[in-house]
This record gives sequence, C-alpha cells and structure tokens, in this order.
Amino acid sequence: MLETLLPILIFTALALAAIGAVRRIRLWRQGRPSPVNLFKGLAALPRRYLVDLHHVIGRDKMISNTHVATAGGFVAAAVLMILVHGLGIANPLLGGLLLLASASMFVGSLFVARRRINPPKRLSKGPWMRLPKSLMAFSIGVFLITLPTVGLLPEGLLEGGGSWLLALVLAGVVAWGLGEMFFGMTWGGPMKHAFAGALHLAFHRRAERFSTKKGGVGRSTGLKALNLEDEAAPLGVEKPADFTWNQLLGFDACVQCGRCEAVCPAFAAGQPLNPKKLIQDMVVGMAGGSDAAYAGSPYPGKPVGEHAGAPHAPIVAPVVMKEGKALVDADTLWSCTTCRACVEECPMMIEHVDAIVDMRRHLTLERGKTPNKGAEVLDNLIATDNPGGFDPSSRLNWAADLNLPLMAVLKQVDVLLWLGDGAFDMRNQRTLRALVKVLRAAEVDFAVLGTEERDSGDVARRLGDEATFQSLAKRNIATLAKYRFLQIVTCDPHSFHVLGNEYGELGGVYDVRHHSTFIAELFDAGRLTFTPWKGGRVTYHDPCYLGRYNGEYEAPRNVLKALGIEVKEMERSGFRSRCCGGGGGAPITDIPGERRIPDMRMNDVKESGAEVVAVGCPQCTAMLEGVVDASAEVRDIAELVADALVESPAADTSRRPTATTMAEEVIV
Amino acid sequence: MQPDLHQKQQQQGIDVAVLVSIGRHPTTGRARRAEQDARGLELALAMEAELPGTRISMLHAGSQDDSSEAALRGYLGMATGVGMGLESMTLLEQPEGSDAIPALAKHLAATSPQLVITGARAERGEGSGLLPYALAEHLGWPLVNSLASVEKVENGVVTLLQALPRGQRRRLKVRLPAIISVDEAAPAARQSAFGPARRATFEITPTSPEADSELAQWHLAPARKRPKRLKIVKAASARDRFKAAASKSEGKGGQVLTDVTPEQGAEAIYKLLKEEDVLR
Amino acid sequence: MSEIIRRDPRREWIARNRLHPDHASVLAALGVNRGGAAVSEWLGPHGVVRKNPHAIGFIGPNDVKRIDRSGFQQGGQSAATTPVAQDSRRTVTIDQPAFLVAVVPDLTGGRLSAHDKDLLGLARRVADADADQPGAVVAILFGEHKGEGDGELKEQALGDAGIDRVVHLNDEFYAGFAPEARLAALSAVEREMMPRFWLLPDSPLGGADLGRRLALRLGERAATGVWQVEADNEASLGWRCTARGGAGSLDIQRPLPRVALALAECAEPVDETRHAAEQLTLAASIPTTLSRIEDLGQVAVDPAGVALAEAEFILSGGNGVKEWGAFHHAAKVLGATEGASRVAVDDGFMARDRQVGATGTWVTARVYMAVGISGAIQHLQGIQRCDKVVAINLDPGCDIIKRADLAVIGDSTQILAALVTMVEQQRGGQRDAA
Repeated sequence: MLETLLPILIFTALALAAIGAVRRIRLWRQGRPSPVNLFKGLAALPRRYLVDLHHVIGRDKMISNTHVATAGGFVAAAVLMILVHGLGIANPLLGGLLLLASASMFVGSLFVARRRINPPKRLSKGPWMRLPKSLMAFSIGVFLITLPTVGLLPEGLLEGGGSWLLALVLAGVVAWGLGEMFFGMTWGGPMKHAFAGALHLAFHRRAERFSTKKGGVGRSTGLKALNLEDEAAPLGVEKPADFTWNQLLGFDACVQCGRCEAVCPAFAAGQPLNPKKLIQDMVVGMAGGSDAAYAGSPYPGKPVGEHAGAPHAPIVAPVVMKEGKALVDADTLWSCTTCRACVEECPMMIEHVDAIVDMRRHLTLERGKTPNKGAEVLDNLIATDNPGGFDPSSRLNWAADLNLPLMAVLKQVDVLLWLGDGAFDMRNQRTLRALVKVLRAAEVDFAVLGTEERDSGDVARRLGDEATFQSLAKRNIATLAKYRFLQIVTCDPHSFHVLGNEYGELGGVYDVRHHSTFIAELFDAGRLTFTPWKGGRVTYHDPCYLGRYNGEYEAPRNVLKALGIEVKEMERSGFRSRCCGGGGGAPITDIPGERRIPDMRMNDVKESGAEVVAVGCPQCTAMLEGVVDASAEVRDIAELVADALVESPAADTSRRPTATTMAEEVIV
Repeated sequence: MQPDLHQKQQQQGIDVAVLVSIGRHPTTGRARRAEQDARGLELALAMEAELPGTRISMLHAGSQDDSSEAALRGYLGMATGVGMGLESMTLLEQPEGSDAIPALAKHLAATSPQLVITGARAERGEGSGLLPYALAEHLGWPLVNSLASVEKVENGVVTLLQALPRGQRRRLKVRLPAIISVDEAAPAARQSAFGPARRATFEITPTSPEADSELAQWHLAPARKRPKRLKIVKAASARDRFKAAASKSEGKGGQVLTDVTPEQGAEAIYKLLKEEDVLR
Repeated sequence: MSEIIRRDPRREWIARNRLHPDHASVLAALGVNRGGAAVSEWLGPHGVVRKNPHAIGFIGPNDVKRIDRSGFQQGGQSAATTPVAQDSRRTVTIDQPAFLVAVVPDLTGGRLSAHDKDLLGLARRVADADADQPGAVVAILFGEHKGEGDGELKEQALGDAGIDRVVHLNDEFYAGFAPEARLAALSAVEREMMPRFWLLPDSPLGGADLGRRLALRLGERAATGVWQVEADNEASLGWRCTARGGAGSLDIQRPLPRVALALAECAEPVDETRHAAEQLTLAASIPTTLSRIEDLGQVAVDPAGVALAEAEFILSGGNGVKEWGAFHHAAKVLGATEGASRVAVDDGFMARDRQVGATGTWVTARVYMAVGISGAIQHLQGIQRCDKVVAINLDPGCDIIKRADLAVIGDSTQILAALVTMVEQQRGGQRDAA
C-alpha cells in the first residue's frame, strides 16, 4: 500500500512545489528588469554557497554544523527519496544512503530543536517554531519507510492485516514532512529560504561581492547610478514592485535569523529600525498584506500589525494619507547609518543598505522629504559644493601657512591628496596637518586640488539625492581629468569609497588609498621612522566605509603596530565593528532614539580599558569626540604617526627642493 | 463638528498667482530659487492644502537660459504633494535689464487672479522691494506686507496674519483681490525635489520689453563693507577727549550671587525680568 | 580745641608703614578720603600735608595707572557724581525755510528710535547744506508721542533730534496697520507743503512699507536701503546716494530721488543744535478713505510656538536640569520660549529644533535665562546677540557665569520653584487688585 501511496505523495508534493515555484517567480518578476547571466550565475552557485555563504554562517560553528547536517541530509534524502520511493528503484545501496542521509538530517534537526527550546531574542518565532518538528517528521518518516527497502525490517510488517493503520500513520508523517519541505519551500513556509536563497545566490545583484577561485573579494557599491537624463526613468523605489526582480528575490531569501538585528546600531540605539523587520516588510509588500503575521522583534517603538502594503502601493505613506500608515514609516528608512553591519552578518547575503538608499531616493527626489537638516545640507551642496554651506573659496584657508603644492600649478604628481570636507572643520584640520607633516617627512611628491575640490557626493548619495551626487561627481571627475597622478590618498573613508568605487560608473577610475594604507606602505618601504609609543593603552575603531565597505582592516593596525602600539581590541572590532553613528547622513536626519550610537561606541572603548581610541575617519572623530564625559581621547592615526615621527637627519628643508625638481623633471 | 463643516463649505478656493524671481546665493552668488519667493510659494501651497479648489499659477518675468532655468525649476520642484497644479510656470520672456513691472502688471490684469503672492525683495539687480507696491498701485489693489500665514478666505475677504517683530502676529482682513508680500517671517519653504522639477514645463509668453533705462545709468558695484560707527566724543577740551578715549568702557562682568537662598536668587532674577519687561 | 599739634608716633609710624595691617584705617583717620578708596592726603606729623601718589588715579584701559590732576577724578567711583550734562546745544530756529525735508519717523513705542534719530540727522544734513538758505525738517508723526519725559522735555526730545516743524496726527484711525489712512495723510502733506525730499527709515513694518507706498503714489522711483548721501552738483536735486541692492550684495550709486528710504546709521544723529519743533496743523482736512484692510488687532501668541531665533525671552535648560517637568512648568508660568543646550537635546529631553548655539539656533532674545548650562563655546556663540543673560548654575567657575549679567549660584530646581512662586504671587496680587 505504501508503495502506491508514496509515489503519489512525492509527485503530488513535487507538482505542488513546482506550481508554487512558478507563483513565487511571478511575484519576483513584478520587480523591474535587471540583466543577469542566468547560466553563469547558476554555475557559480555551488561555490557561492559552499564558500561565501558558509564563511558567514561559519562564524557560529554550532549553527554551521547543524545546517550542514540538516540541509546536507535533506538534499541528499530528497534526491534519494525521489529515486527510491518515487521511481521505485529499490536498490539497497541507494536505500542505505537514504537511511544515512535521513539519519544525518534527524541529528541536525535535533540541534535545530534544541536551539528552539530557548531561542535568543533575535530569532523570529511563529512558523519557525514548528520547523524542527517538520524536519524530524520528514527525516523520521523517510527513515522508517526506507527500512523495509534495505531489508532491515521484514517486508511483511507493513503488509499484514492491521499494518495499514501503521502504513497510514507513516504516510501521514511523510506527508507532513513533504508538505513542509517541498510544498512549503515554494508556497511560503520557513523552507522558502532554501529555494529563494539558492536562486538569490545565483542571481545576486552585486555578484562581485563573492570570492572567485582566483581569490579576493570584489569591493563595490550596491548603488546603481540612476538615469537622470531620461524623464521616464523612475527615481528610486516608491513601491515594492519598483525594486529589481533580484532584489525582491533577495528579500524572499531571508531566514529571519536576526543576526542583522543583533548588530544594527540604530536598533541598539532604540531608533525605529530593525533590518530583519524591514526585509520582512518588503516580502509582505511584494505579496501584499499586513505585517501582523511577523513574529520577531518590531521596530523599536512601533507595534506590529499596524502597517500593510501591496506590490503597487507606496511603501511610505504620501502626504495625502495624513494619519495613514503604509508599509514602512519614513523615519525607519532615515535611521540607517549605512554601516553595512547587517549586510556583513547576513548569511543569506541580502543587501539591506542598498534597498534603504533606493527607497530614500524616492523620498528625496520625488517627494522632497529629506528630514531635519537634510534639505538644508542638500541645498548647501548644490549652492556651495560642501555640506556646511561654507564659502568654497575658503576651502584651503586652514593651510595658509603650510604652503601646500597645488595641482593647478604642478599638473603632475605621484600622489593627489584629497582633503575632503573635513577641510572646513577645525578638528579635522589637525588631522590634515598631521597627514601633511607625515607626507613631507616621507618626501612624498604630492599636491592638493585646493579650491577646485568639491564634496565627493557621499552624503548626497546616501540621503538619496542622486542628482546632486552625480552633479558633484561629474564635476570632480572633470577636474581630476585635467591632471596626472598615480594615486589619490585621502583621510576620509567616505571620499575613499566614493572615489574608488562609485565614480567608476560615471567614468572616473582611480587608484585610491586611505591614508592608513598609504602610511603603512611608506613605513614598509622604510621611508618613515617612529619613536616608540609611550602613551597609554590604545584601541582602534574601524570606520565602516574603510572596513566593511572596503575590507581594509589590517593597514591601520599595522601602522599602530609600527608605532609600537599594541592594540587593545574592542569586543566589536574588525568586520563586526560598531558604527559611530556618523554615516549615511544619520547625524543630519537625526532620528530620535533612546540612546545615541556614539555613546554606545565610546562605552565599547571604555570597556576595552583604552585611554586613546585611534580612528581613521573625520566622521568617526567628530561623532566620538561629541560624546560627553568620554573616558578616552580620540586621535586620528595620522596624528599618532605625526607625533611619533623621527625626522631623519637628512630630511631637512634643504632636501625638499630636490624633491620638487624631481617632480618638475617628470612634467618635462 | 457641524458648524465646522459648514464653515469649510463657505470657504472656497481662489486663484493665486505667485511671482517668482531668480535668487542669488549669498556666499557663492549662484542662481537659486529666491528665499522669499520660495516662502511665498510655500504659503500658496499651504493654502491649496487648506482650501480645496485653490489654483496656483506661477509667474516669472525674465530671460530664459540654463542657469535661470535651473533656478526656476527649484520652485517647480516644490510640487511634492499629490495633485498640485504646478506642472508648469508662465515665463514672460524679456531680455536681461528689462523692467519687469509693466509685463507683470499687464499679465496680472489680463489673468486677474484673486490673490498675488510675492517675495518682498529680489536677490538680484536693484532689489529695492518696490515691485509689489508698483503692482498694487498699477492694479489698484490693497497690499499687505510681511505676511506670516493665510487663515481663511470667505466671501471675497481673506483673513491674514501679519508678522510683527519678536514672533508676534497681527490679524488683518483684506478684501480681494489683493497682493501680499512675504519676507523671512513666513514659514520656510519646503525642499525642492528633483523629479517634479525635471518634469515641469515652461509656458513661454513673449512680451514687449521695456528697457529699464534709469537703472542702466546707475553705477552698480559689489557691496562695500559699511564703516562701523565710532563712538564719537564731543568734548570741549583735549583733556575730555583723551579721558573719554582712555577710560575703560563699563559694563564688563555681571553680578554673581553666591551663597544666597533660592528665594533671594529668585528675587534678583525677578527684578531683572521686571526691569526688562518680559513678564506678561 | 588746642592749636597745638599733638603727635602720635605710633600712628605716624603706622601711616608710614604700608605693610602694617592697620595702615589703611589709620590713614583714613588721619586724612582726607577722596572718593571712598584709599586715602591720598593727610596731615603729616609737622602739620605738613602729605600726599600718597599711590592712592590716587585710576586704572586706564591698558591697565596703566592714570592720574588726573584736574581735581576731577575719572574712574569707577566718581562717575556717579557727574553733574547733569551742561546744556551746550545751540538753539536754531528756521523761520523762513528755503525748502522742506519731510521725515516720517517710525516712532516705535511712542519714542524716536535710534534709526529715526539717524534719519533726522541725515535730514538735517540735507536741509543745512547751504547755510544761507537753510531748509526746514518737518516730521510727520503718527500716533502718540511719549517722548523722553513729560511736558517740556517731551517736546524738547523732538527739537533735540533736529525737527523744525511737527505735523502730529494722533487720530485713532492711524493706529495699528493703517497704510491707506497714513498714505492719505502723507499725500495731504505733499499737496500742502511740497517738501523737496521725503525721508523714511527703511525698517521692516515701519517706513519700509509706508515709504514704498508713498513713492509709488508720488510716482517717484524711491532709493531704498540708502546708507550714504553725498553732495553732487550734477544730480538733479544736488545729492547722490549709495544704496544697498540685490539682497545686500550690491552698492548702487544714483542721484538722490525725492523719496529715499535710509538704513540705520545713515548719518550721525543731531547733537549740537536744538530746533523749534513747532507744531503745524494741516489746513485742509484729510479725505477719509474706505480702507480695504481691516486691522483686527494683535493676536495672542503662545510663547512655546515662537521660533527660537525670534523669541524675546528664552528659558533654556541644559545638563544641570534635573526635573524637566518643573522646567516646563516654569517656562509656562514665566511665559518664556523654551530652549536647550546640545546635551539636553542629545539626551532626548528637548526637541532638536529647540537647540540653542552655533550648531542649533542663533538666538536674539532680550533676556536669555540659562539653567544648568555650563556654556560651551558653541553655546556662547549662539547667544552672543542676547541683551541680558541670566544664569542659574551650581558651578560658579563655569563659562556662562562670565557671560551672564546676573548669575545665581545654587540649585536650579529650587531657584526656579521660588521664581515661579514669586511670579504667581505677583500675578495673583494683581488679579485681586483688578
């Protein structure tokens, strides 16, 4: 009886799964087109899954092993089950393997069950609570029905008179398992993540983030330049259907593990953002409905169940709906510091930050609703090329005594020093002075753009004002095109990221280095000598745009090591570094929370016991120095280096003309 | 609720014309939407939201070129609500250096809006702030300056709040048609969004330009810093003058009350508040 | 008393010994005390007058000691004794003016403002340019004139400001916002007196509005934002002016037209002459116009809603405020607009738009009351245009105390509570009396 029942069950489940898959795919296809090489993507899938994804999951060994056992067991069991029970190839070898696979899956599901006994807060409950039971049902069911195939049980056991009851029970268990594992995979159960996740990995929007066999991880921006010339081209994302289809697919891959929630600085500060909920809201919007079924932590201060959306309804309620709520409130989107901590932690490789900026683009470009000081900052960027509204001709006033060489005069140098908007900030001017001192000590042939420089466009872009970003970027690219240089060095990781990774799309390709990288190189080349560090304990704060965005974790630490500093690492450092709260225009939009993000970061510093926190970003410096009653001093790496410099006896002023002449020879 | 609804029905939408000019950023001198004109448009948009049926038309007299177009689109980008009738702007085309008043007066007389809103002063050129008055005189309409908000429109009478110094307000009733001018006291203009600005169009109306010959004869130069007024001492003798110059100016360092009871401290503060007449 | 001079060697010794603890008191007993400070003269042991040069003089601006031998010691203490300034003004009467210069002062609050006085100074310059044929300054005053004092002094204030003739229009329909009635009155003055120039202050809500209306009514292209006037023979009226244009970015030089609106400090106020300020009345009655603008009077404004930059009286709280409920209550009772320091805003006690300082709002309050604010440099920058600063703080050493005109050291909660009680009592008392 089972022999007739099983194939029917299996193929019904497969057929239903196929129908569900088509429905699901149609949901994704509501999104905008996005060209993806399907075959190349599918071909890259195994590597992306086994290497990149497991690299992230592997940060939690326990879960990693659980997943390997469960998922590996399931995939093997599913395939073998179709062969053995579906097609009736009752080969004992296959049967044995199937037993093994289902046993492995069962062991895995035990661990899954254990995790669900007292789950951490970040995990979603709801349907996810039944998953371990379903996994067990499937694995036990498959195990039991396979036993006779292998001959471990007498064949007759299931054929006797009263055995139909047993057979029916077994079939029921298997049906439950199949329902969850096959049917649920495409119709929206917890197992949806396997189907959507696999395709998401294959058709990822930012394929360069995955490693290749040649090694190395491509650094990129997930933000695609908008077409501003075409009036019909949409400006940002208004409705869920305005996302590209592979973004929608990505949202669907979410496993609601809440790792993003655990690392999100805005969530920790009590601002109304939870990356997990945001992704789930996008899934709700894509399918249409209310968020009432969501079973995880809400946005701080916003109860679940009040928001609803549809694929073609606005995500953020427009002004006309005065008291109404749509899918997401605007302050949720403006709380993000774009620190990419969520992206770094996400085992499903979902790109939360880019989605947020896409939605911000609509709010800024179409609705003119950049909150708080946002509008003022954008107006300043348009009128004065810097966010503070300072006179652009005073950009180099701080360096009146430094006699900085100008690109306009030299035309050709080794290093173009990009000053950034910190040139208007008295605190950052100290950093810049220190950096200039270091460059001069190392006899680097450098020059600055001076008043020709403009804001890189970072803030404008993160605030969603793509038009202002492109205007600034294009003018900067035109300026840079006038001169010849080998590389750009900057002490601002935001400029670094934008110049290095975002100007390329607009035609500006440069070799950009952060000053810590450059100083490390100078030291390795023996062009700098330092006196040993005599100060107190030092910790290092990784800027998001240097670390997570560009993978530079080592150079700043190497520089500190060269200074003789042993870095007391904070609990959250490196790729897990906590944001200072200064990115993504967050200090400008200033969404209120219960705590301030920089206060939490300074608390991290305090817990590390450090007296000095070394940073490499003007934003981080400003945010961390703004903390009242801080326990540690904030110093930029350039300042620490400049203080420790040993002026080599030969490197006095008499040598400098020689350096200049060399530069002049180069021009000739 | 009932009388409220009734009142709402009595208020009817009116035709509002907003005059806009090309501004000048004070630091860089780049063309932009003029601060006061943008506030004027904001006022009109607020009226549109409150009074359904209000129609806004925008009017600019000047030449059309790239930088001025970008500045004018700054106004058009303020149509960020839904159903705002700002898809286009009427541009009375005339060359640089022409007198805008005849063209505007003629157009307004022809289109006869019920309310004209304009900024108090232009940011470029003479910027004398005479334009609203000239239009009022030409059209024979009443004019109210320094407007803070429009409260209601009823039976051809508009109730306005005029801004007084220190955030105070005065309520005025004005018979329509009227001209109102706004300055910094009006609510700040909303953000201008790129999308609507990009989509909007210009309705170009040719005019018979009249050159501003008087302005052409004047001598215009970048503003010089005004000399700071010196404390001039009129004294009979050199000794008095010397003394006045040499003596220290008084009034440095205030009174500090330490070791006083809260009541004594409060008393001292109360006295000062009374003296300054800020308690009402 | 005996003529014999009796000596007390001990006292003499003390008087000579400047380090002796009783030195000052002995000197005081011995000699003449001038101005309450240290004794500078006393009768010496032999009946000779002794002088102590260290005790006289005052500290000059560069911390250098200055001695004034005129017998009229300048400096801190004697300032109070300055007699009423001698009446040194020359009285000028212009009986047969060659022409008239009409001035319409704002008369804010019933008094000539500083701007008005500057403008009258300018009018005088224009009127007195030709000593042989002086013009007369006629002022058209709307509303009540309170003057500096009563009676004689009240009229004198106008004469002292340089006014020869006064047309005082104090009817009730000129009160409030009545541009049409005022314009009709000015037109009547124009018809009757034909002044050569009309000068008005270019002050918002004052002359700026009325002056432009007048210019258009007279068909003149007014010069606005005038800050400099010079004689110019080539100009049609003999003067040329420099005016601010283009939102303060341009200086426009042009012949002075008949109607000019001048900025503050366009000229020095009159201070050497006194004029007659003779009352004139208009012969013809002013036609009453049907006004299309009706003034419904001033509106009660909730101080909490007033923009911080405009507020007159700000109660600002900082890190030292412990009970925010009491703080808000105090602001309400005092009728003050609430402000906050950056820390208070960051900590979420106050909204961001309430932040005072360089990074928040620059305020211009007449009275700024800082409660529990230590006075970071950005904060002090933001309040530099406030007239009076009151500080309540526990720490007498913090920076706001140096800036404050009145600082009370103590617990802010208690002091505010006491202040609230006091204000409420006073209010209650007034209400009972009324």
